[in-house]
Amino acid sequence: MLTIDSVSKSLGEFSLSNVSLSIEDGEYFIVLGPTGAGKTILLETIAGIYTPDAGRIFLNGREITDVPARERKIGMVYQDYMLFPHLTVEDNISFGLKSHRADPAFIRGKVQESADLLNIGHLLHRYPGTLSGGEQQRAAIARALVMEPEALLLDEPLSALDVKTRENLRAELARIHEATGTTIVHITHNFEEVFDLADRVAIMRGGDVIQVGSAEEIFRKPNSDFVAGFVGVENLLRGTGSSDGTVAVGDLQIRAENAIPGPVSVAIRPEEIQLSKAPLSKNGRNVVFGRVDSVRPNGGLVKVSVDAGVPFRVTLTRQGFEETGVAPGEAIYLAFLPSAAHVYSSEEEEA
Amino acid sequence: MNLKNSSYFRMATVAVALLIAAFIVMILVGVVTHSPPAVLIECLLSEEIQFAIRLSIITSIISTLLCILVAMPVAYALARYTFPGKTVMNMLMDIPMALPPLVAGVGLLLFFGVSPIGKSLAAAGLAFVFTPLGIIMAQFFVNLPYMLRVTRSTFQGVNPRYEYVAKTLGCTDAQAFWRVTLPMSWNGLLAGSVITWSKGIGEFGAGLMLAGATRMKTETLPLSLFLNMSTGKLEYAIAAATILIMISVVSLYAFERYGGATHVY
Repeated sequence: MLTIDSVSKSLGEFSLSNVSLSIEDGEYFIVLGPTGAGKTILLETIAGIYTPDAGRIFLNGREITDVPARERKIGMVYQDYMLFPHLTVEDNISFGLKSHRADPAFIRGKVQESADLLNIGHLLHRYPGTLSGGEQQRAAIARALVMEPEALLLDEPLSALDVKTRENLRAELARIHEATGTTIVHITHNFEEVFDLADRVAIMRGGDVIQVGSAEEIFRKPNSDFVAGFVGVENLLRGTGSSDGTVAVGDLQIRAENAIPGPVSVAIRPEEIQLSKAPLSKNGRNVVFGRVDSVRPNGGLVKVSVDAGVPFRVTLTRQGFEETGVAPGEAIYLAFLPSAAHVYSSEEEEA
Repeated sequence: MNLKNSSYFRMATVAVALLIAAFIVMILVGVVTHSPPAVLIECLLSEEIQFAIRLSIITSIISTLLCILVAMPVAYALARYTFPGKTVMNMLMDIPMALPPLVAGVGLLLFFGVSPIGKSLAAAGLAFVFTPLGIIMAQFFVNLPYMLRVTRSTFQGVNPRYEYVAKTLGCTDAQAFWRVTLPMSWNGLLAGSVITWSKGIGEFGAGLMLAGATRMKTETLPLSLFLNMSTGKLEYAIAAATILIMISVVSLYAFERYGGATHVY
C-alpha cells in the first residue's frame, strides 16, 4: 500500500498542497488533471526525486519520506520515455540490475523476460533513436518493470503517442497490470484512459486533490464544477436544493438522486437525457418541455441544445438523433432519471 | 517573385561574402607561401621550432586536461543546482574570457610573484613565474571560461529526467552522472576540449606576462613567432605561424564536426 500523508511541495510555478492519497496493493490508480495541476511533482515526490516540504510517504508499511530514490523500489516511466540514447534497448533494460551488481546470467534472463512481456524481445540490440514512439515507451516500461518495483509510476505514458499506438499500449498496460499485479500510479490529462485502466481515480487541480473515487463515481457524481467540467458533464444547473431531494432550478423542479439543502448545482451528463417530440410520461422521471436551439453533428454523435427555460445540452448517437426526428426551432420533451441528476453544494466551490 | 530586384540584392550580399572569404584566404596563403618550401621545412625542423612545438603541445594538453577537470564539477553545479551566489558566480567565471589576456597575465604575475600564497607555492617548489609551469597556468586561467561555457551548456542540454530515472534504477547522484549524463555529453565535451586546446596553443598575452619570453625555455609557438619577428628572423616566425594556422584549421573543423551534435538529446 502506498500512502501519501498531507504532502506539500513547492517548486516555483508547480506545487502540491497538503495532498493525501492512499493507494491499495495492486491497484491501478489514475491521477487526472489539467497541465500544471502538480501531477508530475506528485509522482517525482513519490519516486524520491524531491523531498516533500511537509508530510510523509509510506510504502508497504515503511516510511520512505527521506529514503533516497535508489532505495525506494519505485519505478518511473516518463511521457517522453527517457531511454538512455547511448545504450541499446538491452542495456537500458538491464541498467537497474547492473546498479545492483546482479549476476550476468540472471540479468540476461530477467531482461529477456521483461522484454517478452512487453513484446520487444526482437528489439534488444537496437538503439532507442531507431525505435518508434510506442516501441520506446514499451522499452521504458520494461526497464522499470525488470526491477520488480513495489510501485510503478507512469507520467502521461500514452500522451506522446499517435491514436492507434495509444490504444494498443493502453490495452497492454491493462494486460501488464493484470499479469504482474504491480501497484500502478498513472497520471494523465486524458479522461479516456480512465475507463479501461483505473480501479480508482483522483482529480487534481492547482496542487490539490479535489475528488477521489471510482471512474464511474467521478464520471457521474462530480463534487464540483471543476470535476464536472473536466469529465464532460455539460449540464450544470444552479438551483436551490431541499431535503426531499428536489432542486428548484428557475421554474423547474428537478428530482435528483441525492438531497442537499441550500444553493446547489445539478450535474446531468448530456448522454443521459432522452429526447422526444411526443409527450413523455413521467414514470418517476424528470420530464421537461423545451424548444430545440441548435443541432451540431460531432463525429458519430449529435449534440443538441435545448432551451427549456434553462439551457440543456443533449448528446445522442447519430441513429438516436434520426429516430427523434427533431430539427432546430421545434418543441421537444426531455426526460432523465433522478439517478442521472447528481447534486453538489455550490458553496464548496468558494473554498 | 520580383526576380530583378531580388537578384541585385542577392548579387550584392554574395559579392561581399566572396570578397571577405577571398581576403581571409589571401591572408592565410600569404603567410604559408612566404618562404620557399625548402626554407620553411628547414625552419620547421630546426631545434628552436621543434622545441616550441613540443612545449606548446605539452603545455596546452596539460592545461586543457586541467580545464576539463575543473570545468566538469563547476559546470555541473551551475547547470543542475541552485545555490546562493550562483548568478554572481556565473558572471565571475566568464570574466577571464572578457579580460585582455595581458591584464590576466599581470594579475597572475602579481598573485604568483608577490602574494603570500604565490611565494609559499614557489617555496614549496611550484614556481610559476618565468617557468613552463607559468605557461600552463596562464593557458588554464584564460581558457577555463571557454571550457566551462561549453560544458555548462552541454550539461544543460541533457534533460535532468534521465538522471531521475537512473536514480530510480539504483544510481547514486554520482553514478547517475557517470553512467548517463557524462556519456550523453561526450560530443559537447569533446568539442569544448578541442576549442580549449586550440586556444591554449595560441595563448600569448597572459603567458608572456607570467612565463616571460625566454628563448628555448618558455618559448611556445606564439612566443617563438613574437621573438623571431622582433629579432628579424622572419622565416622562423613564419614557420611558427604556419603550424599555428594548421592547428587552428584542424581544430575548427573538429569543433564544427562534434560541436554541432552537442544537442542531439
